[in-house]
Amino acid sequence: MSNALELPSILDLVAAPTLHEAFINRRGEALAVDAGGVQRLGAQCLQVLLAARAAWVADGHTLQLENPSEEFFTTLELLGAAPEDLTHDAKYDGKEIAA
Amino acid sequence: MEDPMAAIRETFFQECEEQLAELESGLIAMENGSAEVETVNAVFRAVHSMKGGAGIFSLDALVRFAHVFETALDKVRSGTLVATPAVLSVFLRAADVLADLVRAARENGKVDEARTSAMVAEFDQINEIAGGVGPAPQSSAAAGGVFEEDPAPDSVARSCWEINYTPRAELYAKANETAILLRELRRLGEIEVRLDTSLLPELSEMDPEGSYLSWHIKLKADCNEADIRHVFEFVEDDCALSITPPDEPQGLIPGTVITGDNGFKFEFFPPPEMEEPEAEPVAQAVPATAPQPQVIQPSMVKSQAVEAIAAKAESAAAAPVTIRVDLDRVDRMIDLVGELVINEAMLSQRVLEAGITRASGVAMALEELEHLTREIQDSVMAIRAQPVRSVFQRMPRLVREVAAQTGKQVRLIMEGENTEVDKTVIERIADPLTHMIRNAIDHGLESTETRIESGKPVEGTVKLTALHRSGRIVLEVSDDGGGINRARVKQKAVENGVIAPDAQLTDDEIDNLIFLPGFSTAAKVSDISGRGVGMDVVRQSVAALGGRISISSRPGQGSIFTLSLPLTLAVLDGMVVSARGHTLIIPLGAIVETLKPRAADVFPLDRDLNVLALRGGYVPMVDVAASLGYCDQFIEPEQSVALLVEGEGGVRAVLLVDAIHGQRQVVIKSLEANYRAVPGIAAATVMGDGRVALILDVDAVVRNARSETGGRTPEALILAEAP
Repeated sequence: MSNALELPSILDLVAAPTLHEAFINRRGEALAVDAGGVQRLGAQCLQVLLAARAAWVADGHTLQLENPSEEFFTTLELLGAAPEDLTHDAKYDGKEIAA
Repeated sequence: MEDPMAAIRETFFQECEEQLAELESGLIAMENGSAEVETVNAVFRAVHSMKGGAGIFSLDALVRFAHVFETALDKVRSGTLVATPAVLSVFLRAADVLADLVRAARENGKVDEARTSAMVAEFDQINEIAGGVGPAPQSSAAAGGVFEEDPAPDSVARSCWEINYTPRAELYAKANETAILLRELRRLGEIEVRLDTSLLPELSEMDPEGSYLSWHIKLKADCNEADIRHVFEFVEDDCALSITPPDEPQGLIPGTVITGDNGFKFEFFPPPEMEEPEAEPVAQAVPATAPQPQVIQPSMVKSQAVEAIAAKAESAAAAPVTIRVDLDRVDRMIDLVGELVINEAMLSQRVLEAGITRASGVAMALEELEHLTREIQDSVMAIRAQPVRSVFQRMPRLVREVAAQTGKQVRLIMEGENTEVDKTVIERIADPLTHMIRNAIDHGLESTETRIESGKPVEGTVKLTALHRSGRIVLEVSDDGGGINRARVKQKAVENGVIAPDAQLTDDEIDNLIFLPGFSTAAKVSDISGRGVGMDVVRQSVAALGGRISISSRPGQGSIFTLSLPLTLAVLDGMVVSARGHTLIIPLGAIVETLKPRAADVFPLDRDLNVLALRGGYVPMVDVAASLGYCDQFIEPEQSVALLVEGEGGVRAVLLVDAIHGQRQVVIKSLEANYRAVPGIAAATVMGDGRVALILDVDAVVRNARSETGGRTPEALILAEAP
């Protein structure tokens, strides 16, 4: 069973350092990120999520994105990213995601 | 409190004036073949800068037209369009339209949309011309791309803009958010966003408050660049931003405004060797077949940034450093320096009255003070002095318009544009000069047919010259037309009852008739030079400036109108004289010579009118005190001192005064502003003893003497009645 990380509802400039620290603390093991409660996503938290994915790829662990909210999903798309860019070796919406 | 945006807006319009001047002079240089490579760049930059500034203030009409204009200019820069006379003619007229758009924006006035649209249509034709005379394209595909583009102004067409955007950490620290900016862009049209994560560091090494992402955005929208910039309005200083219009080659394009990492903003203008040889075909910029946007690598931006900044620094070193100062402040300083001059003169007077010798330390220190005061006065006056260029630069447009109206071909030659004169004088010579140039084209130059018949070049020449002469500025307007038709002028003068049918007038006298009110020799009244209210108004406004106008004309070869004006209206070199105990100043510029009349040379003509025999001629004598009403009794000529003065049109008179006290530079104080207008008096000044002295209006006194001779000119009178 992998660890879980529930994302806060507001992922803005203020939330970025905490989010960064949370990922640093969870390195070295599979992680499921719950984006269900996200109401706002900013570019600085996005870059933490992207860096985390790169780290999990490098470490060879699974990174899973769960239950993304509509807001999270649309802002992610607006910023030019996709849920696949935040996961590694995991299923997303029942679909196998290639690393 | 003053609106800061209003001040910025005003500065923008002031800069527009300068850029319009640069545009016009550059285009004229291109027209006469004296342009260098840099001239073409300068012309492009002028239009581009105006476009950029107009975007900030949402002056859309201006932005749209500037963009169309700039696009054509860029083709000249890149060599895909040759600046033929036909093309330059379009550019010059486009500069006029641009000037009108700026003026309309400044004054919230109306824009002549039909004229603007017609101009845009001409630009479309230019693209066709480019296809005919442009250099051979490298390949047929490239040629198609350049010349078969959509003729509609691409700024408003639904087309694909490329936007490269790299935020810096400061952008986020100031609570701005990329997602919001992208959302705003999406409101303009369809966007395609590509995220660049290539600079993202390892998780453990990243600063979560740093900024590592870049975005490359394709925007398909019916908008112009200003609309896009509007989205980034508040973050432009905190990001690197480049916006590539749909018709431009991708990557760093000339004129791209880039905000560098160090916060410097600069515009990218590549040296010729860096320029793209051919513009990318528009068809290829459509997303379906679009190549991948060229990613600007930070190193690339940096090296080009360094070059661009170096180029700017180089040009900044060459250009004089200037500041903008409110004119009121300068005027206040001029007033104060005027007071200082008066005060210094009063102090000298007191020292003299106290019986202190000239060799004493006090007197010598005072002399030094006097020199210093004069130097300060000259320096302050120099602040107000401006080149006449600001007036001259309006003339090419005037000439183009009048030439078009009259169907004549006219070449304007301007010399001495850098001649400096006081700002007040500059502001007030524009109208007289405008009228004289109109007149030179409308009445001076013959019709094309007549010129061909006379064996003259079809293109008439009007020359405008400015130069300094004897402490005055001299402006000459000359033409190579037919000269004044003296027979017609005289006939017209007789018809209008200005002169008697049998009057014997010299050529000069006939020429000067055109300065009389209501005089017009044009066979038909034209829209251009008006209804004969021209030259007398010109003469009046010139006289009001303390200037003179004269004419010299040679049949078949043309006419020269010469304006002579004081360099400043704030100080005057004058002769201090006394008349029945009153101190008066006579402007030095009007005085030809001083003399002591002999009784034998004075001939009484009338009750109160004498003439003085002078070197074979006769000149009317005017008793200054009597003419100003100081006394009824006329001075005995042989007991007086005489000054031969020359009024407007070269008319001379001898002024009689009691004594001459020497020359002095005086500070002019307006009598009208402080008291009221007094006939025969031009202004006043304060003397060293604190008393007010009046400055004589020589022209008025001479004119008054004329009217006393029954409306006849003194010359005519003398010819008729002299012994």
